[in-house]
Amino acid sequence: MRKFKCSICGYTYDEAAGLPEKGIAPGTRWEDIPQDFVCPLCGALRTVFEELKETSPIPAHTSQEDEHFESLRELTPGELSALCSNLAKGCEKQHLTEAMDLFYQLADYYKSKVAAHSSQNFEDIAEVLKYDLSESYSKANTVAAEKADRGALRALVWSEKVSRMGNSLLERYAKEGNTLLENTKLYVCEICGFIYLGNDLPEICPVCKVPNYKISQIGRR
Amino acid sequence: MPAVRNIRLCTKDCMCLYVCPTGATDTENSIIDVSKCIKGCRKCVDACPSGAISLLPDEYPPQQSKSENVVNALRTLAKSKVEQESLATDIAKLSDDAVTRQFAEAIAKSNRLMAEDLIRESGYMLPQSDEVRSLLESMTQNPPKNFPVEKVETLLKQLNSIHKASSK
Ligand code: SF4
Ligand code: SF4
Ligand SMILES: [Zn+2]
Ligand SMILES: [Zn+2]
Repeated sequence: MRKFKCSICGYTYDEAAGLPEKGIAPGTRWEDIPQDFVCPLCGALRTVFEELKETSPIPAHTSQEDEHFESLRELTPGELSALCSNLAKGCEKQHLTEAMDLFYQLADYYKSKVAAHSSQNFEDIAEVLKYDLSESYSKANTVAAEKADRGALRALVWSEKVSRMGNSLLERYAKEGNTLLENTKLYVCEICGFIYLGNDLPEICPVCKVPNYKISQIGRR
Repeated sequence: MPAVRNIRLCTKDCMCLYVCPTGATDTENSIIDVSKCIKGCRKCVDACPSGAISLLPDEYPPQQSKSENVVNALRTLAKSKVEQESLATDIAKLSDDAVTRQFAEAIAKSNRLMAEDLIRESGYMLPQSDEVRSLLESMTQNPPKNFPVEKVETLLKQLNSIHKASSK
């Protein structure tokens, strides 16, 4: 009997145990569970599940110490906008209301400097996202692990999970179009950005574990 | 160390009003009046049965130095998230279908939040930190037309004074 783990939230499907609450009897093989099975915790598609293998951890690949081949790149207007809106939140936590407002205004200024795109379709987003998932995260995880940068590793874990979930949503949307959102609500976690499609919110965010009052519904306007 | 109240946790039994020697906790809904608070007295913190009040630290330790490679790796991802955000924002703006807009807005928001978190971990945790203040400083140098220089200067003034107050 094998086990399959949701790469978004860590829920593990154990073939031996099945999932009787969802009508999947103990002993049901992964191949035999219904095609429309979704993760009972986070709603992810079965395509994001990975088989759990008992493996010895791979030794971290050795690095040339302190390579300085990359020098710091300037921040783009979009990044500056995100930086400023995040600092606004940081001010809010310290009750610095005026500074918060100023940072939000600065964030808007930089946002207005982001160039518009010539095409507007979800496939373009999916393409950029695929590159993150196939290249950028593994590179970033490697350098952050080498430097034992716990803050960076934490942020990478969250956003990689959120990205995988986003990717599976975009794939479903490409197939099903707007019917994907029929009869269901749509939510985004205010802390990590996790997108949840469904009517019953989990108690806590499956990615960042914040209680669900921090998860906001995205309405239809 | 001024006291702050987490309204989410507050159960409105008002022990803090009772114990506070200065009336700083009289504020009902929002934050405790920082100008009245005898910083560090912590009577309200101990009195609150709901654990709703805490003291803000005067001083945060300076941030660990960040490796340039880590910073660049985080920026690469942040830049990509921002690009996805702006693609989604454009879809949301231009689509005349409410469901498409809804989906695009969720994607835009999700990417904005990821970008914020990645950029923050690349060395800009605290608004009053040296890193943030020197970034703001550099924005005021040769600013482009229409750049809100006065706003940045006001911000710098405020952040500088918070920074000074915490590092006597
Ligand atoms: S003592 Fe605590 S619970 Fe009671 S009013 Fe004050 S903050 Fe709220
Ligand atoms: S710390 Fe003391 S002075 Fe400040 S609000 Fe609490 S009880 Fe009042
Ligand atoms: Zn899951
Ligand atoms: Zn979350």
